[in-house]
Amino acid sequence: MKNNSRLIVSDLFIGAVFLVLGLIVFYSAWNMPRLESRGVPGYAIPGLVPMILGAGLALCGFLLSLRSIRSGDLSAHFRSLEIPALFRSNEMRRLLTMLALALFYTLGLVGRLPFWIATALFTFAVIFIFEYFISDKQHGLARCVTLAAIEGVLVGIAITWIFQDGFLVRLP
Amino acid sequence: MLFSEGLVMLGDGISHLMTLSNLFTIAWATLLGIIIGMLPGLTATMGVALLVTLTYNMPGDQAILSLICMYVGAIYGGSRSAILLNIPGTPASAATSLDGHPLAKKGLAGYAMGLATTSSAIGTVVGIFCLALLAPMLSELAFDFGSYEFFWLAAFGVVICGKLTSPTDALKGYISGILGLLVAMIGMESLQAYQRFTFDMPELSGGVGIIPAMVGAFGFAEILTVMRNRKDSQVITSKDRVIPRFIDIWRYRRTIFRSGIIGTLVGIIPGVGEDIGSWASYAAARRASKEKEKFGDGSYEGLTAAETGNSAVIPGAMIPVLTLAIPGSTSAAVLIAAMFIHDIQPGPTLMIQNPSFLYQVIAMLLFTTIAITAYGLSMSKLLIKVLSIPREKLMPIVYILCVVGPFAITQRMFDVYVMIFFGIAGFILRELKFPMAPIVLGIILGTLLDTNLRRGLMLTGGDPAPFFTRPISMVLCAVTFLAILLSIPLFRKMVASLFASIGLYRAPVKTADKPS
Repeated sequence: MKNNSRLIVSDLFIGAVFLVLGLIVFYSAWNMPRLESRGVPGYAIPGLVPMILGAGLALCGFLLSLRSIRSGDLSAHFRSLEIPALFRSNEMRRLLTMLALALFYTLGLVGRLPFWIATALFTFAVIFIFEYFISDKQHGLARCVTLAAIEGVLVGIAITWIFQDGFLVRLP
Repeated sequence: MLFSEGLVMLGDGISHLMTLSNLFTIAWATLLGIIIGMLPGLTATMGVALLVTLTYNMPGDQAILSLICMYVGAIYGGSRSAILLNIPGTPASAATSLDGHPLAKKGLAGYAMGLATTSSAIGTVVGIFCLALLAPMLSELAFDFGSYEFFWLAAFGVVICGKLTSPTDALKGYISGILGLLVAMIGMESLQAYQRFTFDMPELSGGVGIIPAMVGAFGFAEILTVMRNRKDSQVITSKDRVIPRFIDIWRYRRTIFRSGIIGTLVGIIPGVGEDIGSWASYAAARRASKEKEKFGDGSYEGLTAAETGNSAVIPGAMIPVLTLAIPGSTSAAVLIAAMFIHDIQPGPTLMIQNPSFLYQVIAMLLFTTIAITAYGLSMSKLLIKVLSIPREKLMPIVYILCVVGPFAITQRMFDVYVMIFFGIAGFILRELKFPMAPIVLGIILGTLLDTNLRRGLMLTGGDPAPFFTRPISMVLCAVTFLAILLSIPLFRKMVASLFASIGLYRAPVKTADKPS
């Protein structure tokens, strides 16, 4: 029931997003140059297919939202979602942690530090946080830090060496 | 092409692979594929996409060989975790777990893995046979294709893929397809060289790279899913015999043959991959079986059907790749991108410009089949140890590969940001039950659809009639519209009542073919 409610509510919103996105694409495509001065006929303008796709996306988004609205008591579905509990769940905590670590590594560390150090830090952080702070099992702090640090350094050096010298790949 | 010419080229293809470096490539890439397929969360598409970036500097034929090994190995490897953990290593092995895991619980884990190995090998061989037979024929047919047929082929591919990969909610499949097509609209279009949707970003003028997009949608998105759903699963160990008895294979020869053909046909359909091939074969085997009651409770026949079906999809998916440059599965989409990177032009002209390549691909598939059989029957117990690697140690490494991979091809961070965007968007769309395959197919086929629609109209001075009156166009157009109309409940009811009125249709009885 909860999963079903979640899908019905999310379909309503994502349908509206696609409706708006489709209309924006259609509008942008409509306003693309028609290139008449270059002798391009109306049926070969660059905006033709994007216009059709924009209209199609808007229609599908509308149908998705409409289907969601017609599927029953929306407010009851909203209430059964328990959104605050959803954000406090362990699953959400793990997801947001992984996302934050991945973004910090890619946007903050890579390119600013030597690749192997950035990679070692990222690997250490993921292993340590997931094994110590958000693990279902209890591990000792010293053991977790030591193992994660060793694994981080090994991964950093090994990946840099394998890809740079083995596969001859340039690293960021 | 004469049959004897084909055999000679196949012989050449086989001898071409008989070098030490090629055999070594087959050995490591197949093993890597099996390991990636075994690990839940790491899919064949992710493995192939990551390997494209790492084999960028290899000679073209060796790079394609490693990718095919990865593809076949990963699809086969998924059966391991399906049997031992009841978690399919890749979506292709979901049907395998229905009978594979009950067999493992009965103490027959080794035998189930052995049967999965031989079934996968036979399935691939059936598919290879169809590839050798059909690809030259389809290639000749494709020479008659003009802009009109290619336009409909692209539209047909996206619509059918949208419908079949999201059978319970075709609307979401169509939305995915349109999103993919829209992504393909980004960048400079080929008829008037106009830059669409680039937002004054020079990096977008060449369009969105398929490899960064795929690494994001199948790599990063999968990492987020796996890390969120962390679960400890109990691995069942195996102590029984691994090599299947010949009588068990012979008894289910009809099922094997049927599943092989179904898998190959599913593979030919654009974008519809191994998971559908496996389910379709499993459902057909169950319908035709004399032992229906055993299905879902450790049936050898069910396991055989699922594994034969998913493996036969691989050579089947290569048929449209080589003859039309249209991917038969998401992994095949990456293979097309890899072929272009290595200056191999798949499509109708391949059989003229480089006819030996088809037979090289056949030889590659044959060698990989031998490799999975050898690994599967000899290293079953050793490979189980891979399943005990904790995910929190594995996933950061996979993410690092997701960052290194897109950067390796173009040496620009922009492609890494594209990977991140597609990873987050892919994760959200997956959570909302939008299928990924139509998006990939849309990205690949978008340019084909756009260019051929406008080129076709230019050829006729704006008259759309040839799009609907040329024989192949007419068929593709009819099937495309029928698929869309059949997604509309009202139309479906009308068709059902029409068929019922003339006695050709019975209301379906609910079965448990595919768990929801």
